[in-house]
Amino acid sequence: MQSEHATAPEPLAALPEGGEVTSRTGGRNLGLHDFLHNKRAMGGCAVVLLLVLFCFVGPLIYRTNQITVNLNNANLPPGGGHPLGTDEYGIDILGRLMVGGQSSLELGFAVAIASTVIGALYGAISGMLGGIADAFLMRIVDTLLAVPTFILLLIVASMFTLNLTTIILLLTLLSWPYVCRLVRAQVLSLRSREFVQASTVMGSTRMRILFRHMVPNTFNIFIVTATFAVADSIYALSALSFLGLGPPPPFADWGTMLTYGVNDLFDSYPWEVYPPLIVLVVTVLAFRQIGDALNDIASARSSIR
Amino acid sequence: MHTTRKLVVMAAGLALTTLVAACAAGNAGKIGGGSAVKGQAIKGGTVTVAEVAGSPNDIFPLLPSTNSNGFNGDLTLGLWPWLAYSGDGGKSIVNPQESLFSKLTYSDNDKVITIALKPWNWSDGVPITSRDFTFVYNLLKWNYNDWFGYVQGLFPVDVSKVSTPNAHTVVIDLTRSYNPTFYTDNVLAEIPLLPQHAWDKTSASGKVSNYDETQAGAKAVWNFLQAQGSDMATFATNPLWKVVDGPWKLAQFLSSGYYAWVPNKNYSGPDKPVLSKVIWTPFTDDTAEMDTLRSGTSLDVASVPLNDIRQIPALKAEGYSVAQVPLPGVAEILPNFYAPVAGLLLRQLYIRQAMEYLINREQIVKKAFAGYADPGNGPVPVQYGQQWDSPLEKAGGPYKYNPAKAIALLKAHGWKVVPGGTDTCAKPGKAADECGTGITAGEPLTFTLLFATGTESYNEQNAAFQSTESLGGIHIALKGEPFNTLVSTTGTCNGQSHPAATCDDWQLEQYGYNEYLMDPSGAGQFNTDANGNYGGYSSPEMNKLIDATEYGSSNSAFFAYEDYAAEQLPLLWLPNESDVFVYKSNLAGVTPLNPFTGLYNPEVWYYTKPAS
Amino acid sequence: MTWFLIRRIGQSAAVVVGVMILTFILVHMEPGSTARAVLGLKATPARVAIFNNTYGLNRPLVVQFWLYCDHVLHGDFGISYSAGQPVSTLIAQRLPRDAVLIGISTVLALIIGIPMGLYQAIHHGTLRDDIVAGTWFTLYSAPDFMEALLLIAIFSVHFHWLQPSFPGGITSVGGLFADPSALVLPVVVLSINSVAGFSQYMRSSAIEELAQDYMRTARAKGLGERLILTRHLLRNAVLPIITILGLSLPNIVAGAVIAEAIFNFPGMGLLFWQSALSHDFPVMLGATLIIGVATVLGNLAADVAYGVLDPRIRHAV
Repeated sequence: MQSEHATAPEPLAALPEGGEVTSRTGGRNLGLHDFLHNKRAMGGCAVVLLLVLFCFVGPLIYRTNQITVNLNNANLPPGGGHPLGTDEYGIDILGRLMVGGQSSLELGFAVAIASTVIGALYGAISGMLGGIADAFLMRIVDTLLAVPTFILLLIVASMFTLNLTTIILLLTLLSWPYVCRLVRAQVLSLRSREFVQASTVMGSTRMRILFRHMVPNTFNIFIVTATFAVADSIYALSALSFLGLGPPPPFADWGTMLTYGVNDLFDSYPWEVYPPLIVLVVTVLAFRQIGDALNDIASARSSIR
Repeated sequence: MHTTRKLVVMAAGLALTTLVAACAAGNAGKIGGGSAVKGQAIKGGTVTVAEVAGSPNDIFPLLPSTNSNGFNGDLTLGLWPWLAYSGDGGKSIVNPQESLFSKLTYSDNDKVITIALKPWNWSDGVPITSRDFTFVYNLLKWNYNDWFGYVQGLFPVDVSKVSTPNAHTVVIDLTRSYNPTFYTDNVLAEIPLLPQHAWDKTSASGKVSNYDETQAGAKAVWNFLQAQGSDMATFATNPLWKVVDGPWKLAQFLSSGYYAWVPNKNYSGPDKPVLSKVIWTPFTDDTAEMDTLRSGTSLDVASVPLNDIRQIPALKAEGYSVAQVPLPGVAEILPNFYAPVAGLLLRQLYIRQAMEYLINREQIVKKAFAGYADPGNGPVPVQYGQQWDSPLEKAGGPYKYNPAKAIALLKAHGWKVVPGGTDTCAKPGKAADECGTGITAGEPLTFTLLFATGTESYNEQNAAFQSTESLGGIHIALKGEPFNTLVSTTGTCNGQSHPAATCDDWQLEQYGYNEYLMDPSGAGQFNTDANGNYGGYSSPEMNKLIDATEYGSSNSAFFAYEDYAAEQLPLLWLPNESDVFVYKSNLAGVTPLNPFTGLYNPEVWYYTKPAS
Repeated sequence: MTWFLIRRIGQSAAVVVGVMILTFILVHMEPGSTARAVLGLKATPARVAIFNNTYGLNRPLVVQFWLYCDHVLHGDFGISYSAGQPVSTLIAQRLPRDAVLIGISTVLALIIGIPMGLYQAIHHGTLRDDIVAGTWFTLYSAPDFMEALLLIAIFSVHFHWLQPSFPGGITSVGGLFADPSALVLPVVVLSINSVAGFSQYMRSSAIEELAQDYMRTARAKGLGERLILTRHLLRNAVLPIITILGLSLPNIVAGAVIAEAIFNFPGMGLLFWQSALSHDFPVMLGATLIIGVATVLGNLAADVAYGVLDPRIRHAV
């Protein structure tokens, strides 16, 4: 959760001159080679791929009834047709992990993509505009950043009943400022580079400069922020559910599955607690590993003189 | 994760019960004392009680109509007990030892009540007199619309005159005759005595006078006391609240909800506290409470939410004993008879019957409530016992789980039944074998159930409800909301007034249960102008039967009402959960728990030393 | 430098106003009627009208906002709907407790995290680095509430060594220490989150410093490793930590909602959660405002500190 974990992109924010990237390395080629050979990054990607398959292809192979509640089958231990047992509604847990995972992953990806795109555009435009417009736009961003994400989440969750779509919108709204700051910092530092000045002299419009030069050079920031955003949003939803303010039943995601089983941590129904916990941790871990590895690659490249 | 016990107080009208005034005198059962703890009693000691998901915020015993916080009763009952003390030995009878009257007589065709007050004193030494009763009556006479405990048509508007022949006698002339059991159990059991000699003022520095005797004065006193009563910072220090007539005094109150009682040394009653302190410590939800119980240290008495029942063996190993108590009330799914389209469907009795046939209450009791719930066969829970449970209810009620019957009913009224799908009306019209008034051809039989989130047992119950209803092709969509949101969208509807603007949005609601007093009557809930009749149910026959229970004195009138209500389904009956408690095994006197007074009577608790 | 300060202060003031607008909008987004939610099912229309009048809810939004700003500038954050007490009183009671709790956790995290980060940097790329990084990474990725509950399960329930929740009757900050065993687990849980962050920053910052020319110069000069570490590496690598410290000021105020919820710690986080559950908007609004102001101040402090320490920054925006 962003209010309690210092999110990794912050160090880049503290140093406005984000990495030293020259125009010669096109963003898309940035470290692709390094990325493919980085064990941590590839490990993380492999896990993510497995998870995606598990959640989206899994239910096609392992069919369970995720809709009908049958209290007579509630809380059955693993065995007899239910490899991971059943939960308090009598629904197969393995199946619920898959289907619940769809919500969690959809949430993560949607928020990551949306917030990165919005934040990047906002930040780039603000950086390119400069002057008063930039100052004004950034004050709006600062305002959104002034209140910890989780606090804002709690406020809105207490007022509205949430469903997946509203949470995606909400988390996007709360995540794009972080991207925006980073991209703007990058854009500002790039503005003063010779190749941009050369472009201006040659008569390119600002928009052209933006898209042809800035964007490729900020690509690494997108990727890094996006991967962290996936992890953070999955995390935020599970925390919200734990506090009782998440989407109400019949919504299922790993966090809500955990919430019920949480008091059973000590005994009784361990199969209701540990599977969603492990999957949640592994997912968040995988995304963060990828992000971390990308961060390392980016900063390693930046310190190559 | 929340206990909903306290949510309940919101909904109820005061049901009434009269009863047992006469029986009580003869039946003076010991309160508490049923716990089989062996050993020597120890004087003193501190008991810490867990307070979950809520805490008191008002100390004035006559709560304003806008304060539905059930925790306030926990705070004030130990300080200012009711005139007729509800519950004795866990039974729904008046407790003679803790009541403030020594004798209660109904005369003149049950139109006159003569109350003989016990010669008790307030904690400052001033005797409790009949003036204190008229003080309460006067305050309520001019402010009843602002009183949470007011039930349409009852006290104080049903009183024509109050007279006090002497310092210990009160004579109340009623405007009509009432069933004595009903009146004692449900009306007199909701009124405390208040110290006129200390509280009859209009400002903190003002002097005490007879302000309550005029309308303006009564309003001024009421407003003053209400304002003082909601000032949490001064609960423990305000001199007003130090004048009590109950066994306890408030020693400390923090804004977090933490508070402590100490014995009232001048308590006149027989059950003088043995403990030296009782502490209530707040928990926002039960996770922290369960953790604390599991580590066996600081909590002595606590409730256990039903979805944590399986932790009980571990708690027993920590030195706790377990007790359960049924909660007096009826749990329900509330239909909105004035919802735009759904209301027309819900008005058809056969549709409600089909829906009730499709609720598998036994399974819900066993699985969602771990067996700790009343079966929910009708308006009266079985705990009330012999005189209130009609044979019909005892036998399982008129609508035992039977999907086949539900389907047959729907088919007989012209519906095309699609089990697992959604039924549609095949034969619209008003005839006996057609769908009914206002129902169009092809209309789907579908409803949205709005429920209060936060209690896992209810989530399971509602999911099961959705599941079993679909066996008859009735499609239920579940929509959960925090309780406060649910309240703000429910609107102020009843059978008499149902403005579209506020009664429109919801179709079915489930949020907990409606609390009953000692007499589980339907007044306040099912009669047309009842302020607790949120769904807008209205039936002249029902009104007549309820009146018969309020005004007559025959007990068969009660069964007539009960069976009629069970059959007519003004609400869809659901099992009502019981409360499960744990308490330290060396603490005696805790059981049997009294469900009518917030469950705890610490004045009869004591620690024991194990017998050597 | 002064110009830099003035600009930053001006920006901060603008942000504070922005936060006030934001919180105001948030609260008025509530669906349904606030009056009915607070007053309950039995509220009569007359009562609702009184409520709306008292809290000014029936006036135009702009007027309400103006009143709200006016009150806030006079220190009046309104009255809590459920507690009936001024919000400022409630916040004033809880804020110091959070300062203590999070202060201790942060200090603990620094004490562990900085040396750990240095250690990792020095052994950068080796197995030791990976193990340490991996462990903290996993801890950092696990949901807070699970970590807390696992710790409770082990240390409180199983071993009975520590208290799983805070005693209720705390009246002063000193009361926090009345039963030290109750402080241990919350502090540990909060530290775990920060240690990972601090050590990672320390590590990457130290790695960068280690690659700098001046380090080679220092070694060439013959300075001992110890001296290099403390005089050069530590002082230079610690800069990002300062920024992060400043940025964690709002966390003190936001109060670690989840940790407080699990441990029943009577701080701002718990207050916030309770008011979210009971729709106590004045409290939520007041708390959010305080948090927002704290963040702005924290950022300002961090920027100023950084600006003082690193001249390159002063001239960027």
